[in-house]
Amino acid sequence: MKEQIINTIRRINSGFLNTLKIWLREYQVIFTDVGVIIVMIAAPLVYPVLYSLIYKPEIITDMPIAIVDLSQSVASRQFTRQLDATQELKVAYFATSMNDAIKQFKLRNVRGIIEIPGSYKKDIAQGKQTNISAYADMEFFLYYKTLLMGTSFVTLETGKQIQVMNLVQQGVTLHEADAAVNPILIDDTSVANAVGGFATYAIPVALMLIIQQTLILAIGIMAGTARERHAMGTLVPLDKNKMGTFRQVIGKGAAYFTIYAMLCVYLLGIIPQIFGYYRLADFRELAALMTPFLLSCIFFGMTISVLFKNRESPMLLFLFTSFPLFFLSGIIWPLSNFSNIWLIVREIFPSSNAVLGYIKMNTLGASISETSHEITALWIQSGVYFLTACLVYYVQVRLSERKNTEINTLPINKLKQKIAGKLSGGFETTSAGTN
Amino acid sequence: MKSILTNIWIVARRETERMSSRTLYILAVVVFPLITILFFCSLMKEGVPTKMPIAIVDLDQTATSRKMARNIDVTPASHVVMNLTSEKEAMSALRSGDIYGFVVLPENMQSDLMTNRQPIVRYYYHNGLFIAGGLLRNDFASITNTLSAGINLQRGESRGIPEEAIMSQIQPVQLNTHLLFNPTANYPTYVTTIILPIMMQIFILMITVYSIGIEIKEKTSRDWLKASGKSVTVALIGKLLPYTVVFLIMMMFQNFMIYKILMVPMNAGIGWIVVASLLFVLAYQAIGIFCIGLLPLMRHSLNLAAFYGILALSLCGFSFPTESMSPVFQLWAYGFPVRHYMHIFQSQILAGFEPVYSVGSFLGLIVFLMLPLVVINRLKSALIYQNFIENIHKTDTLAARS
Repeated sequence: MKEQIINTIRRINSGFLNTLKIWLREYQVIFTDVGVIIVMIAAPLVYPVLYSLIYKPEIITDMPIAIVDLSQSVASRQFTRQLDATQELKVAYFATSMNDAIKQFKLRNVRGIIEIPGSYKKDIAQGKQTNISAYADMEFFLYYKTLLMGTSFVTLETGKQIQVMNLVQQGVTLHEADAAVNPILIDDTSVANAVGGFATYAIPVALMLIIQQTLILAIGIMAGTARERHAMGTLVPLDKNKMGTFRQVIGKGAAYFTIYAMLCVYLLGIIPQIFGYYRLADFRELAALMTPFLLSCIFFGMTISVLFKNRESPMLLFLFTSFPLFFLSGIIWPLSNFSNIWLIVREIFPSSNAVLGYIKMNTLGASISETSHEITALWIQSGVYFLTACLVYYVQVRLSERKNTEINTLPINKLKQKIAGKLSGGFETTSAGTN
Repeated sequence: MKSILTNIWIVARRETERMSSRTLYILAVVVFPLITILFFCSLMKEGVPTKMPIAIVDLDQTATSRKMARNIDVTPASHVVMNLTSEKEAMSALRSGDIYGFVVLPENMQSDLMTNRQPIVRYYYHNGLFIAGGLLRNDFASITNTLSAGINLQRGESRGIPEEAIMSQIQPVQLNTHLLFNPTANYPTYVTTIILPIMMQIFILMITVYSIGIEIKEKTSRDWLKASGKSVTVALIGKLLPYTVVFLIMMMFQNFMIYKILMVPMNAGIGWIVVASLLFVLAYQAIGIFCIGLLPLMRHSLNLAAFYGILALSLCGFSFPTESMSPVFQLWAYGFPVRHYMHIFQSQILAGFEPVYSVGSFLGLIVFLMLPLVVINRLKSALIYQNFIENIHKTDTLAARS
């Protein structure tokens, strides 16, 4: 009985020590490989800064437009000056005709055209409704939005001035007049991102995707490298002490988790502070979201790493997912308009829920309970991918064990032959062996 | 001349054999590009998001407020999924992601309207979502304006004022928006048409670097050169030719999806589309050669190509216009063939401008084809001397035993 207990303690102890060894060895694997350092450390450090600088202007200002002023009156020139004074627009070209303006548009010198009708002055004087035409560039959604925002602001302002003028002539008080013109007042409030800044939309998505993609790529690169380094092309080294499914999964996972926990401080703490992004989530809330996110990314990465037979494979087979994942997050195209198949595919990748959860917490100020859907989904993913990672490693460990016994029973000269074949392996032999 | 063609043919044959020997090639050249094309074509197939979930907080509960709630529900963009009793509840639903926006109809709305006291209708929309927020805002604003105008018309007509006079009082200056050269205001036209080439450039770049780099890594580069009659130009042309063909077919399939299935307007001849697509593929192959020539150690050149390829989405000016970025990025943007391809698409194909307006973009694409010349000698020596092989240390105990 006593012996049994001691034995168990000894086994736990050695398991613990081996896990710790694998954990520390993983740091060594990471930090002695320049390629892995670039993906795992340099990319998460550089990309957020680069994206922030690219999107720093946030909104479009002084977009060049052409004016076709057919009225050529004091009133129309006043209208033009007001357009020019808006933050959004800049009158870059005074066209003599619509054709003239279109030519400038084709040359990409202007991004929109405003036409003031010849009857502009007369209409206003006679109290008739006058029509301003805005021709928008439909190539870029943002150009269209900017033209519309600038022009409708000036149109409304001008309209109000005319109303006041008319009403004062009629002897009505301003309030009465306003109530007559606008029976209902509108108060629109943007929840999050009031100015509609582009960085505010894109950076949260970028941050979450950087974490997930670099983690999965780095784990894949290391798995591919391990196979290249191990003489028999196995994922797990042929070393008795390093075998053990849980030791492998937990030891390696702990190494990645600690590195990314530190990167999160930089990505979610320092970067938003430097560039002035929303920071509504506190540490506790971010930890509640990021813990399952990092775990699910790590175990997902370890699960699919078994598919990468070479160091290069992850870059060829996984990198491209970054763009579709951006759209799967539901930030661009709303989730309510997703078809069922893409809603299911969306649930495969941890980033989908993490992006939405991060935006809810950090930009909208949602609490942990309001983000429970995303957090629960991430914990489920962590659990499922932990099991798949264990399964994958279990199979790989068994495979290494089999190779090990096979090698131990082989006579030495046959073994040498076999290894020589693996090592020298030209294109054909390696491809046969590793694919 | 004849022998050069024969050699190109020999190298191309050798490459197709290599391509079919590893599943990696089939996945990275055919399967994944096809999946992404289908993904992006099906994701936004509705054109404009419709029936987005919103809530109504009706604090008035009168005939007028209920009529207004019904009017909001029937607009194409929004769909009322919840009727809530307080703003707080609605805000929590919005933060939880159950709704993308809500309208608060104030207390005493009906009686205020009767007595000219201007009730204030409040809208909230989730502007952390790129498309949904703006659409809902427009939707809300237009429905209230319509209702306001309706009330005014009713009032005016009861006093016998003609409609025209009322309208000029409500809106002395009216803004008519016209869509220039692209009458279809839907998202596939903006997004899918550009994101697909951005996806394709990743595939082309990565496989170009890989197909050359693997020869260096696995020390087969001398065989490759031998097969080409010892000309690195012939070797490169022969090797990349099969990929050029496959990717051109992919590009044309993508164009077929864009113009025939998504029905994006096509105002240029098919010839121009083929030429632009071919130049696009060639330009990226040239950049791939440049990467591996610059850094013949494949793992580094793959990282370089990945870094460059991923940035295309942000820097080609598709997500955010380059004209609004700082000058450094404006210059950098010219370094992406996809930007020139995008300009050709926008001005010549979509808007139907005369070819003269896209000559600059075609020339831009052609300039990239010169890139391999810069590194060709470096690449050749790497292929011959194989001096960029990474040392793979066997780390098993087994390796130690042997």
